[in-house]
Amino acid sequence: MTSADIHALTGAYALDAVSGVERMDFERHLAECDSCTQEVRELRETAARLGLAAAAPPPPMLKSRVMAEIHNVRQQSPETTVVPLRRRSLAQRLTLVAAAVFFVATAGLGVIVVRQNSQLDDATAQATRMEQILSAGDAQLLTMQNRDGGTMRVAVSRSQDKMLLLSDDLASPPEGKTYQVWAVDAGGQRSMGLMKPSNGDVSLAVGGFSGANTVAVTVEPDGGSQKPTLEEKVMSADIPVS
Amino acid sequence: MGDRARRLRSARTEPAAEAGELMQRVARGDEAAFSQLYDLLVGPVFGLVRRIVRDPAQSEEVVQEVMVELWRSAAKYSPERGSATTWAMTLAHRRAVDRVRSAQAAADRDDMVGRRDANRPFDEVSEQVTARLEQEQVRRCLSTLTDLQRESVLLAYYGGRTYREVGELLNTPLGTIKTRLRDGLIRLRDCLGVA
Repeated sequence: MTSADIHALTGAYALDAVSGVERMDFERHLAECDSCTQEVRELRETAARLGLAAAAPPPPMLKSRVMAEIHNVRQQSPETTVVPLRRRSLAQRLTLVAAAVFFVATAGLGVIVVRQNSQLDDATAQATRMEQILSAGDAQLLTMQNRDGGTMRVAVSRSQDKMLLLSDDLASPPEGKTYQVWAVDAGGQRSMGLMKPSNGDVSLAVGGFSGANTVAVTVEPDGGSQKPTLEEKVMSADIPVS
Repeated sequence: MGDRARRLRSARTEPAAEAGELMQRVARGDEAAFSQLYDLLVGPVFGLVRRIVRDPAQSEEVVQEVMVELWRSAAKYSPERGSATTWAMTLAHRRAVDRVRSAQAAADRDDMVGRRDANRPFDEVSEQVTARLEQEQVRRCLSTLTDLQRESVLLAYYGGRTYREVGELLNTPLGTIKTRLRDGLIRLRDCLGVA
């Protein structure tokens, strides 16, 4: 799809009339196209006026149900914006490695009392894997905010075709559900694996995502799905070209 | 009716500032502010969801979901990305569309409905919508669109159709539909004075 083609989707996208992979593709495009983002913002505002014009009196009992329900619903924390790192010096990269190792180490230390030795070894192995990935010349450290709570760090290297996803505060998926990781490219998406946090801790090392430009995580039934449930996409990040 | 007219008027003239301010209080867990925000937004949210979902019981479920989601994610709202009212209407539209599409997908899987629903003539949708549009300005601005622009926008927005479905319904190539949706919205934007 050429950039003019994809730009023409702003209207359809503002009307929620784009679905599936095309929507994911367009959202990826939006992330790097300021003028499209601005246009989508204005067209959404315009579409909302059509919505306001459709106002109708709601059922009177609805409010008491909603007020009762919010009483039992915990509110989310504000979103923090994360900028992927690009083109770093060796010194910066080493700092990153140190930070990543520290991150993994503290994730391990947090539960050191209850962890078995083998699990500690796992944490060390993760640190080593992350260090390996980050020491690659094209390594990137990305961050994804989970819609349902928690932060996922992703160390990724295209030259090594390796990716490590790590978190120490990932919200548990609902009963009977699991997180599923997808590599998304123009042709579609393929499953990279399933993950379930234990007390927020989780890590997943994956390879073979070459060609993908987005990593996305959805909530799926236990055992995973053949195709992602798009409305259950809880986080995603662009994989930088290099 | 007096109540409703007031609500419509207030939603139209002062949503941005008022809803935005309430949203910031809601983000801090202020239930009284949420109650006011509910009163301000529930009319438009309900009207839009009902128009897309149609089934009254399901519409109520979706509206409840939307309202609770506004509470849950109020802290994610950022004024730089648009008004709080737009944020709420965008969420309502998305949830309503998700509901009809998952119902449609389930029906297609069961091989019961197929394209029956999609075969509904577009003028039925567009006429009902046009006849029931309650805001003069929106109606007037819609009339500045070409027929194809207007039909496409209304089918997508109030009909909850994907642009591919709109293309099938109007027997029009997808590239044309994409352009019409964008051009139509841009014309509406300029006519409504959306900055």
